[in-house]
Amino acid sequence: MTTTLAFDLIGYLFVASSVVSLYRVLWGPTIPDRLLGLNVASAQILAILVLYAAKEKLHVYLDVALVYDIFGFVGILALTKFLEKRHRKGE
Amino acid sequence: MIEGLVYIFLFLAAVFNLMGLVGILLFPDPYTRLQASSTCSTTAVISVFIAVMIEAGFSAITGKVLVITLFFFVSSPVGAHIIARYAWNMGIVPWRKLRKLSSKDFLHD
Amino acid sequence: MRVRSKWKLVRILFTTIWLYGGWLLYTGSFEAISLSLGAIASLFVAIITYDLFIAEYEAARKGLLVRIHYGILYLLYLLAQMYLSSFAVLINILRGNINPRVVHFRTRLHSDLARVLLATSITLTPGTIALELQEDHLIVHWLDAKTLHSKYAGILIKGKMETLLSRVLL
Repeated sequence: MTTTLAFDLIGYLFVASSVVSLYRVLWGPTIPDRLLGLNVASAQILAILVLYAAKEKLHVYLDVALVYDIFGFVGILALTKFLEKRHRKGE
Repeated sequence: MIEGLVYIFLFLAAVFNLMGLVGILLFPDPYTRLQASSTCSTTAVISVFIAVMIEAGFSAITGKVLVITLFFFVSSPVGAHIIARYAWNMGIVPWRKLRKLSSKDFLHD
Repeated sequence: MRVRSKWKLVRILFTTIWLYGGWLLYTGSFEAISLSLGAIASLFVAIITYDLFIAEYEAARKGLLVRIHYGILYLLYLLAQMYLSSFAVLINILRGNINPRVVHFRTRLHSDLARVLLATSITLTPGTIALELQEDHLIVHWLDAKTLHSKYAGILIKGKMETLLSRVLL
């Protein structure tokens, strides 16, 4: 297939942009900025997993992608719950 | 024909991804950055999923990617909403564009 | 008591059907062992979690029944809307010209599922993020605010999504 090269290029682009979005995780001025950077990076890594699965015709990567999506979502939820509790206790 | 559609969706994904990154880096406060990221991540990633589904045709990969797409349709906006509500409850004040003062503002009649 | 247990059976049945649909889509194989294993597993998970999926006061409504054709139409409409408003946000990013405001409005949908879906759709169409959803009252952050009037803002943001959703979920 000739689309393999395009899939490769988009995969590299997503890797680069997930590295750039880590800027917000490291230097974000507030806590929501850091969470936002994590959210964006996890979504892009999900896209990379799906691209790789489609390129190599490996179904295992799709299972990994679904579980990765669920865990990214639950991770954000747990972090905000924890931080909200700490915020309330601190006041 | 099919390859053309795949290329179009991959191109859309690249454009939305890059523009979303620019938005995330340049916008002034968490809410507006969240707007840019919900553009960036959701639309770019869903474009990639659609391209993969078109490329794979009618097969087991399409079914799995369809489930992932439906789940992502729910999980990404809810994640953005959770972060936004956390910022709102934390008491971060949304940034507002300041109106330029004109001579009309100083005229009291 | 007997009415309650009857509704409990209905709730378990609906949860099982949803879970089994997900299993069929995800495994994509129609062998006998896969089908039977999926049925047993989804029934087991449904017995544990039916209370979380469908709350008791939601059960009596017809809201459990989804009209499939309107559901697909809604999904396609949402996809088109997502691309259109993404282009709008893209132009805003390029011009660097934003005017963010927070607006309040109400929705007239009744069931919890429909309200959550409306809030999710509002967040999914970029340019608007739902900050808070209490009963039927929504607080929305709007990237390029055209108006601050509550009713007019509601009409502009919700668009056709509300009427379509009221058709999807009876």
